[in-house]
Amino acid sequence: MQAALAPFSPAAALPRAPREEWQALDDPAEWPAFGHALDGGDAGTVRWESQVAVEGMHCAGCGLAVEAALLRVAGVLEVQVNAASQRARVVWSAAQTRPSRWFEACEAAGYRLVPAADSSARERRSRELRLALWRWLVSGFCMMQVMMYAYPAYIAQPGEMTPDAAQLLRWASWVLTLPVLFFSCGPFFRSAWRDLRHARIGMDVPVAFGIAIAFAVSTAATFDSAGALGHEVYFDSLTMFVFFLLTGRWLEARLRDRTAGSLEAVMNRLPDSIERLDAAGGWERVAVRRLAAGDVVRVRPGEAFPADGMLIDGGTSTDEALLTGESRPVARARGERVLAGSHNLSATVQVRIESVGEGTRFAQIVRLMESAALGKPRLARLADRIARPFLVLVLLSAGSAAAFWWPVDPGKALMVAVAVLIVTCPCALSLATPAAMLASAGALARGGVLTSNLQALEALASVDTVIFDKTGTLTGETPRLERVYCRQGLRPGDALEIGAALGAHSLHPGARALVNAWNAQFRSPPAWEVAQPAELAGLGLEGLLRRSGDAGGPARRVRLGSASHCNVAPLQVEAPQVHLSDEQGWIASFVLAEELRPDAAAAVAALQAEGVTVRLLSGDRDSAAREIAARAGIEFAQGGCTPEDKLEVLWRLQAEGRQVAMVGDGLNDGPSLARANASFAFGRAVPLSRARADFVVPGDALAAIPRTIAQARRTLRVVRQNLAWAAGYNALCVPLAVMGWLPAWLAGLGMAASSLVVVLNAARLAAPAAGRAVR
Amino acid sequence: MDILFLLIPLSVVLVLAILGGLWWAIERGQFEDIEIEGDRILRGD
Repeated sequence: MQAALAPFSPAAALPRAPREEWQALDDPAEWPAFGHALDGGDAGTVRWESQVAVEGMHCAGCGLAVEAALLRVAGVLEVQVNAASQRARVVWSAAQTRPSRWFEACEAAGYRLVPAADSSARERRSRELRLALWRWLVSGFCMMQVMMYAYPAYIAQPGEMTPDAAQLLRWASWVLTLPVLFFSCGPFFRSAWRDLRHARIGMDVPVAFGIAIAFAVSTAATFDSAGALGHEVYFDSLTMFVFFLLTGRWLEARLRDRTAGSLEAVMNRLPDSIERLDAAGGWERVAVRRLAAGDVVRVRPGEAFPADGMLIDGGTSTDEALLTGESRPVARARGERVLAGSHNLSATVQVRIESVGEGTRFAQIVRLMESAALGKPRLARLADRIARPFLVLVLLSAGSAAAFWWPVDPGKALMVAVAVLIVTCPCALSLATPAAMLASAGALARGGVLTSNLQALEALASVDTVIFDKTGTLTGETPRLERVYCRQGLRPGDALEIGAALGAHSLHPGARALVNAWNAQFRSPPAWEVAQPAELAGLGLEGLLRRSGDAGGPARRVRLGSASHCNVAPLQVEAPQVHLSDEQGWIASFVLAEELRPDAAAAVAALQAEGVTVRLLSGDRDSAAREIAARAGIEFAQGGCTPEDKLEVLWRLQAEGRQVAMVGDGLNDGPSLARANASFAFGRAVPLSRARADFVVPGDALAAIPRTIAQARRTLRVVRQNLAWAAGYNALCVPLAVMGWLPAWLAGLGMAASSLVVVLNAARLAAPAAGRAVR
Repeated sequence: MDILFLLIPLSVVLVLAILGGLWWAIERGQFEDIEIEGDRILRGD
């Protein structure tokens, strides 16, 4: 690793190699993503200011601990931790340290750092919010003063006020209305102008018309009190309704900001990395965006291909469903091309990169989140379709109301039109759905559930069946190795060595269990070299093994996996087992112990309490599946399922009219996750299923599943309430305004209140559904 | 009552001056992080 760092690192004597996951951060090309250089010159030697998110911080005291831990690292110059926003600003010298050093130091102190890639977006939003607050303040302040000037005119008896004094007060009101009109109302006019220029009608068009008409009527009355528009001024109404509207907008922006913040935080993650062949012939982990055409990378099963390239060693099958929609694995042999963004399914392969582009997974995740935030749920699209004709109707009724009142009093006629324009609230209608869904997604993100598809909230609310996968979902990620049986003359340690050497090429829990067991007992890696490892999804692994450092020695074709895959008799024990065999037959059998997650039974009970049927489908033996199901309290369990069987069951249930949510992780679940009405990728799943699932649960709390379902149901309830309220409000208020019974200021209050009711109702969803899900 | 002709324009000027002061306070970010003042006593420096 020292050699790998050397080109960037003048301080070549850096101590031991950093942990693998942070290595990619030491690449200067990664640093601009979460900070900026403070000085000019070579990026590798200057001072940098980086923004990081701190996990696990609870109070100001924690903030001090993080600061102290970071400042102990030589080369970290300045640290500022904000405990409220869980962010830290770190100034460090690239000549003396690397990010991995201080990331590691902070982890050792008990707090995990993540690069804050969203810092520029946060900065931008906080600037916008500050401006919005300022607009609101200006309008509020001017409103109060204009009200003072208007007060004498309301209480004075005829003849008590001299015309000069009255005129002076109007002048003063007019002057103080100018900042409100030109500064505070800026956003209304700008967005209305944008809509009109594109020949469409938006939410702000009626509002902008209303403001402009009210100001024109009052200005005419101020400067020419004998004119056709009468001598009434409405500066007090005008400033007041602008103030109410801005109050509503500002609160709305605050709530949206909180939600956007929690969604953006999803983007704060370690850079995607891949193993690249370096000049010395070793493998070095680099960030995907550092790859260039011509590089050779090693891709393990479950990883995504980082760029388009050619297979130069080994053959595999790939999953290209995200790119082409083909849901079956596609076989790719040596010399064939693989696509960026497709997943490697079965074997470790080497790829020569041909082109690098926007296909990096990071770009994909960002796109995924963006599309989730932008993708409009069905109900929202419906509201949008209604909104447009509705706005036209509003403009028409405002016009006809004005025409009706004109013969009586032109000034009053125009103010009636203003009231109609202001009081209608199409925004309540179109905010009803997205506000609720985004608030829910934000609440879920804070609770550790990432929503990658907002539509799915709607689907999830009507789910009546949940299908769990067993391994890694109901049970822990990796089983424990309990016992080893092996061939005469072979020691259990030797058998484990072979199993671990081959198992290192898979992400399957059974294989990982062997690797973990080996690492726990022995310090050196297994002394076997594996050539042409291949994984048959759902069955096991196969590879050619040869003693390390014995190039001419005999090679053995070894299989690791299920009894049928290894062609041996299964053990007569009620426990998950992995077998090992070669050309001569059986080598060893490993008995694994699978433990139910501690909260599995509670989560299943919570689901059943919500009226959801729970099923278990497992690729494992039927008896094992049934046993786990019984312990978790699940009635229907089926073992021995191939991926096709799972799809089959899913289809049958859906054909019965059931709405099915699928919870899974392993390689086998990809197609069924895509097929279910709503899907969860649970645990530290392989990237394949994550990319497909509607919800991703990166932690290991099963309670998140019933909680998410309960949240989805609450969301749909709130959406319905919102739509009903918005429709009811408009149906009541528009006729009142047309009749001339609503003064303009009351109209402003009504509109601000109606969209606030919608947003606040949605904000109820942002509170965690504690105590509801687990009863 | 003639004094009104001085006081009312004066009040307009005062309102604008107060707005200017608030603008200055917001622009300097005085309302950005209101928790940090409470934390300050816990810090050694």
